Amino acid sequence: MTLPIPIDLEARMDELIRHYPEDRRRAAVLWVLHLLQDHFGYLGREQVEWTATKLQLAEINVWELIRFYPMFSEVPRGRFHIKVCRSVSCEQCGCGSIFQQLQKILGVLPETVTPDGLFSVSSVECLAACGTGPVMMINDELYENLTPADVDRIIAGIRATGRIEAPRLLPVPPAHPLERRMLMTAMAKPGYTGSLDDYLAAGGYQSLPKAFGMKPEQTIREVAESRLKGRGGAGFPTGVKWKYVDRRSGKPIYLVCNADESEPGTFKDRQLIYRDPHLLIEGILISCYAIGAQTAYIYIRGEFAAGAEILARAIEEARARNLVGDTILGSDFNCEIHIHRGAGAYICGEETGLIESLEGKRAYPRIKPPFPAVKGLFDCPTVVNNVETLCTVPFIIQHGSEWFRSLGVAGSFGTRIISLSGSVKRPGCYEIEMGKITLRQLIDDVGGGTSRGLPVKAVIPGGSSMPMLPADKLDVTLDFDAIQAAGSMAGSGGVIVLEEGDDLVERALSVARFYAHESCGQCTPCREGTLWMEKIIERIHSGHGRPVDVDLLMNVANNIDGTTICALGEAAAWPIKAFLRHCRTDFEQAVAGGKS
Amino acid sequence: MSESLVKLTINGQLIEAPIGLNLIEAAKLIGVEIPHFCYHPDLCIAGNCRMCVVEVATLRTGPTGTPILEWNPKLTIACNTTVVEGMEVLTHTPRIIEARRGVMEFLLINHPLDCPICDQAGECRLQELAMDYGRAESRFVEEKERKPKRTLLGPKIMLDDERCILCSRCIRFMRDVAGQDCLGFMGRGSRSTLTCYPGREPSTNYDLNIVDLCPVGALTSVDFRFKQRVWFLKQTRSLCPHCSTGCNIVIGSRENTVCRLTPRDNEAVNQRWMCDEGRLNYRFINDPTRLVEPLSRMNENVQSLSWDEATRQIAERLTALRDGGEGRIAFIGSAGATTEELFLFRQLAGVLGVTLMDVVPHTGSADARLLQSDRNPNTAGALVTGVAAIPPGSRLLEIAQGIQDGRIRALVVLNEDIIPAGIGADLLGKLELLISVSRLPSAVTEAAHYLLPGATFAEKSGTFINRAGRIQRMNPAVASPGNARPEWRILAGLLAELGQPQEESLESIYRAMAQVLAPVWGVTWDAIGSQGVQLHVD
Repeated sequence: MTLPIPIDLEARMDELIRHYPEDRRRAAVLWVLHLLQDHFGYLGREQVEWTATKLQLAEINVWELIRFYPMFSEVPRGRFHIKVCRSVSCEQCGCGSIFQQLQKILGVLPETVTPDGLFSVSSVECLAACGTGPVMMINDELYENLTPADVDRIIAGIRATGRIEAPRLLPVPPAHPLERRMLMTAMAKPGYTGSLDDYLAAGGYQSLPKAFGMKPEQTIREVAESRLKGRGGAGFPTGVKWKYVDRRSGKPIYLVCNADESEPGTFKDRQLIYRDPHLLIEGILISCYAIGAQTAYIYIRGEFAAGAEILARAIEEARARNLVGDTILGSDFNCEIHIHRGAGAYICGEETGLIESLEGKRAYPRIKPPFPAVKGLFDCPTVVNNVETLCTVPFIIQHGSEWFRSLGVAGSFGTRIISLSGSVKRPGCYEIEMGKITLRQLIDDVGGGTSRGLPVKAVIPGGSSMPMLPADKLDVTLDFDAIQAAGSMAGSGGVIVLEEGDDLVERALSVARFYAHESCGQCTPCREGTLWMEKIIERIHSGHGRPVDVDLLMNVANNIDGTTICALGEAAAWPIKAFLRHCRTDFEQAVAGGKS
Repeated sequence: MSESLVKLTINGQLIEAPIGLNLIEAAKLIGVEIPHFCYHPDLCIAGNCRMCVVEVATLRTGPTGTPILEWNPKLTIACNTTVVEGMEVLTHTPRIIEARRGVMEFLLINHPLDCPICDQAGECRLQELAMDYGRAESRFVEEKERKPKRTLLGPKIMLDDERCILCSRCIRFMRDVAGQDCLGFMGRGSRSTLTCYPGREPSTNYDLNIVDLCPVGALTSVDFRFKQRVWFLKQTRSLCPHCSTGCNIVIGSRENTVCRLTPRDNEAVNQRWMCDEGRLNYRFINDPTRLVEPLSRMNENVQSLSWDEATRQIAERLTALRDGGEGRIAFIGSAGATTEELFLFRQLAGVLGVTLMDVVPHTGSADARLLQSDRNPNTAGALVTGVAAIPPGSRLLEIAQGIQDGRIRALVVLNEDIIPAGIGADLLGKLELLISVSRLPSAVTEAAHYLLPGATFAEKSGTFINRAGRIQRMNPAVASPGNARPEWRILAGLLAELGQPQEESLESIYRAMAQVLAPVWGVTWDAIGSQGVQLHVD
């Protein structure tokens, strides 16, 4: 192989390959591709073939990844590759004007490179920064709250200096009186950097030795009795998931942290990772101890490149203080934590799609059974938990399950971080005690009311995959059961506000386009149905709708719902069905006012 | 109840099924077909087409300890669900049919619907299931997704991505069965596209099985493409003569022309596969140079004869040689002939006092799957009938020597070109009488005094005994060209002429053979059937 690979680059790859079991080196393929793309600027046939040889794979197994994960490119991009988020919340904030401004000042079409090779622009799906939209990324840096004027200034700056000035992390605002902060307490302290010293000063790493004083089964029992429910979207009881782990298989047990936050309207895990990485690490260590895992992987979405760096540094800091590695804090517990970077696919948030991706494959969700607790990563028993879920674990261990149950309401104990975005004056992350405040309070008091001061039209309460609630459901409290009783689900805690006057057909199009773009293509109803829905809504939105299209759209959504391998089918169908249920007249008017 | 069986109910019918069986197979036991595209019994479960959805209820222990039947609220895919004691399954409720109609519609919206020009038409699962679950009119008014068409996947297979329903059967077969991980999906969602990496096209001896596996017209055989509408093909159950495995096949023929060979299920022999070499080895059947009438050649005088006349003359000359002294005649049979033909050949040798006989071994490289190095389909038959020496071919040198010495004056050759086997044209020139039964011209037929045109495997009934000792039957798909006829008829005619009248039909000859040939004693023609019978041979 003639590809010139610097020795230190290959050494870095070899080190990463060692993070995976000897016979599973394929799992390192996304890492190898990231490093090759960073080095060469693209992944052409030489890179594919080099990778295949390096990892003893067939070329097709490498190539099919490059064509699956949008962060990879087979052709060179600009030295500064710009990604503008186009998902629903950013769209409401006017991301279109940012995208147009970029094309105008750079003089390029999407996916093309400026003649000087400096810039290229693409529009991408959700970057998990919905509260600070419109946002864009230039290479690995995130730019928030953009105006076209900001874009001019940033581009001029790069042109002048030839480099990116990394924007600063925006400060965490003080808690609103209706908030009840637990996970967000430390990060909001003035001057808090998330370093190990800061975390220790804030009382961190006290739960871990406490857990070591308990038996693993006791730790599981404590979490089970806390009735903590998963914060990723499905709301499955964490303790139950842990109890399902097959501990008698004789195989290693794995913990995987799902840090693939990419559901439009959700941006809470980003805060935890970027601002308080040791909280997550402590949560992971306790959870590993409880379930008997000695290896944890943090599957972090590819766009969180800086977050991956932060976590990697934090792990090394922790290792230096004997908090990660062998005989942690003098106990007989060994635990390694490895970072695994994704490459731009929402489906990797689905736990079995994530496992496939971690194994170095296209992220096709698995058919269940078997469930990961029995046969997960590398065919071993595996627990997959969301970032926020794991960050909650140290508090449960520190204060006990009884204390935890004193927060929130039955069925929804504890706090959770609500990602508030859309047509609201003060979007952002707010940690609330579940069941103690209503949607109306969240929007009007915490969020400062709707953007234009007009009445709320509808609210998507749990990330874009959840059915919207109409304005007459605003007095529902923010907890699992109440939101379900109102006809939706708490999901990921991403609350998207839609205001009177918003173009709801356009919002529906944005949601439909997201799921069509993110459908992995494995099973028939989701693969074909999501794109069909997008095309129908697109037609209605562009004035070519037919009266039959409204019912057709509903029928297509129904045919996806409940028939797919994973929950992406429902995630695509439910919001569209809810749009039609609650905003049918908007669609009918778009059809009537159209051209055909 | 046996320990390995469970009782369950499918559509109200109580059945017993072995543990581990999935619901598609369990339903087959009572004749219920659960429609599917991606499922295949010999491939790992993919569960992606979503066509095989059913409603399932299982027993749960209720609060008082009594079992209660609990219906799964979601539809369940039958391919990934195995039978459980007490399970209840419904396969065709209105809800299921609605879901399948939804899946069919999804599969068809971006499909080109080019059945009139698609080779798969007539044996397409998409077409077939559209009859049951399709809509009369399309609700899809959007532009269809465009994908690559006419992509060659190596020299044998043509890919049309627009027809592909992304079931992944081909990917799984190439990776898990053929052992070449070479196919994959590019892109995501509805734009997903099957392809292979450039320069890494399928290149195994089993590639064409993915054409059979493909439930639609996405993968077609370059060899068979546009040759024939499959519904015009006569389907004849036969055996592949390419090696000693004896893969079960179907001969597809039309108007007396063989158009293709495809594998036929036989769990004990070839499962559902065959090798490409065997599959593509049929052109000789349709060869325009096939021998079509009996000929005699005296000096340079070539004369065509009737079968009666040829038989009479040959019998007369062989009788004279037999009566002239011992060891003047030698026989070279063929391990590519049927067992019945070899049986008659052996009988003929007996009548003529021939003791020196053998067959010509044909070998090639074997693979780890179906293809054997013994390229004769019936070496076992040649051995049990005593035509083949032990080991086969070991007496050919003796025959060559005998001709060289002038001891052997006559040679009867059954369907073999013996020149590569060491009996060259110079030796053949020394013979007083060379009788060649053959299908195609060769140096042997050029030198023969009598030339008797025979029939290929596609033109006759008979049995082969494969390398594992399984006796299997073939059936005639096409008629032999001109006056050519199956070798068993030629040999029976000669025996009759020599005073040993034979049965009229191949089946009766088999029956007669089964009374005297130890390994097939008691094995009836019907018992062999379409799947064969395992014999006890050494």
